[in-house]
Amino acid sequence: MSRSITLGQYMPGESLIHQLNPRVKILALLMMLAVMFIVQTFYALIFLLLFAVLLLASSGVPFSYFLRGIRPILYIALFALVIYFFFTRGGVVLLRIGFITVESDGVREGLFVVTRLVALVLYSLLLTLTTTPLSLTHGMGYFLKPLKYIGLPTDEVAMIMSIALRFIPTLMEESQRLMRAQLSRGADFESGSIFRKAKSLVPLIVPLFISAFRRADELALAMEARGFRLGARRTRLHEDIIAPRDWAVLVFVAATLAAALVLNI
Amino acid sequence: MFIGTEKLSHIYMPGTPYATKALEEVSFSLDRGDFALLIGPSGSGKSTLIQHLNGLLKPSGGKVIFEDRELGSDSVDLLALRKRIGLVFQMAEEHFFSETVYDEVAFAPRNLGLDEVKVEQNVKLALERVGLEWEVVHDRHPFQLSSGQKRLVALAAVLSLQPEVLILDEPTAGLDPGGRLHLFALLKSLNQQAGLTVLVCTHHMDEVADLADSVLVLNRGKVIMSGPAHDIFARRQEFNKLGLSLPEVTEVMHCLAAAGLPARTDIYSLEQARAEINSLKRRLEK
Ligand SMILES: Nc1ncnc2c1ncn2[C@@H]1O[C@H](COP(=O)(O)OP(=O)(O)O)[C@@H](O)[C@H]1O
Ligand SMILES: [Mg+2]
Repeated sequence: MSRSITLGQYMPGESLIHQLNPRVKILALLMMLAVMFIVQTFYALIFLLLFAVLLLASSGVPFSYFLRGIRPILYIALFALVIYFFFTRGGVVLLRIGFITVESDGVREGLFVVTRLVALVLYSLLLTLTTTPLSLTHGMGYFLKPLKYIGLPTDEVAMIMSIALRFIPTLMEESQRLMRAQLSRGADFESGSIFRKAKSLVPLIVPLFISAFRRADELALAMEARGFRLGARRTRLHEDIIAPRDWAVLVFVAATLAAALVLNI
Repeated sequence: MFIGTEKLSHIYMPGTPYATKALEEVSFSLDRGDFALLIGPSGSGKSTLIQHLNGLLKPSGGKVIFEDRELGSDSVDLLALRKRIGLVFQMAEEHFFSETVYDEVAFAPRNLGLDEVKVEQNVKLALERVGLEWEVVHDRHPFQLSSGQKRLVALAAVLSLQPEVLILDEPTAGLDPGGRLHLFALLKSLNQQAGLTVLVCTHHMDEVADLADSVLVLNRGKVIMSGPAHDIFARRQEFNKLGLSLPEVTEVMHCLAAAGLPARTDIYSLEQARAEINSLKRRLEK
């Protein structure tokens, strides 16, 4: 029942963006972010923002999920706006109340920074909402590969990460079931002092640890029985193929970014 | 109605793309002292249903009723409710955390705030009721016991609440035939001698079928049959369609009947089958 509790924000779907190779998505995101930091004009920025909205719409993920993803940065955005409005000098004076003045350069730069922030977050959400944590790990593992040459065991780290990701939902579900099981034996996890509360967690933590260790043991055995060896080269069931459509999307993204750079002039 | 539900529905993770309708308008009722079976293929919502009965899950629709009062109305105190309605989870021995059997069984009465003298009385009684000897087990580590004994300790750990209703989720999963027989004999005596109302979830009906007064069959979250045990078990075809099977002896009797012998098919236990086959033999010899 790993689907019951989702880790991260993945929203299952069938769109083209969902089906892209995660490596391509990560690379495209990196390119986007780079261009985002290069552009200095509003035209280019608005263009990139509109492009993000277009991609969001084509992903089929309900818009509310993006709004929910943006909510945490609203305060940062607000804070940045205030700082820019009141403290950046230059241009014409738009407002003067006592010793507080708002000048046009501040407004311009404030809006620019906030728009850029929102666009950045939208592009990142687009990746995390349409890619399972597992494929994300695989994709990132690919980009970390060069580190192997300086002696880091990147394959093993990727394997550990994906196993951990695979089991987090399982353990979360198990802890909820345990909680209900102990509740039905009269356990109380809520009332009492901090000390009592900590003590009331023993009936959860002990069985959880026991089962986690048992699971780990069984998993190690099963993996070895199927021929897993440290340092051996592995192939994958779902081969990590860059399909023609992945190339097409990369070219499309690159063209769009080039257009943004032209608008930037 | 002693305990039951009215149009109970439950949706896991509502409002997300992962929403699962686990129960749909499930209604049933038990009277005090009943022995009932809850049957259904896995994933049919059995565990979800019974977790509503002591307030562990909240209905998405409909209500749960205990002693003519609706659960979830503020007047019902959950701890008091869980004391009266004991729920033994599936594989409950995996939830052990104590260093001695005594502490494990004492967890529930201690949570009720009883003093240690009373706790010890409850533990003694509970261990006695499941047929474990106090001297032998009370200071042993629960993990040193055999799997059958562990299951009995898990049962004792709920009986120590001294509940009036005992609900068990797949209590025989993973037990050997001896353990199964012992457990059901125990449930029978808890029901008949101690007067507990018993509800057992299972899809393995071999030893339990002839204990049941009433049966509720779930499939995909809906009640598809409910009523007195002998009426329900007569609908063998429907059972087989669901991938459930009647007790093996019942199947044997059906085969005899299908072969044209005048055998009764409402036979759910080995003893009944033996008696019926003997009488069949006598009748045929005449
Ligand atoms: N914690 C949960 N989160 C989400 N879905 C669940 C959860 N528990 C059970 N389900 C789903 O509810 C349905 C009924 O499950 P359950 O009550 O466990 O059935 P049973 O006990 O008959 O095997 C299944 O489809 C199952 O996948
Ligand atoms: Mg179940």
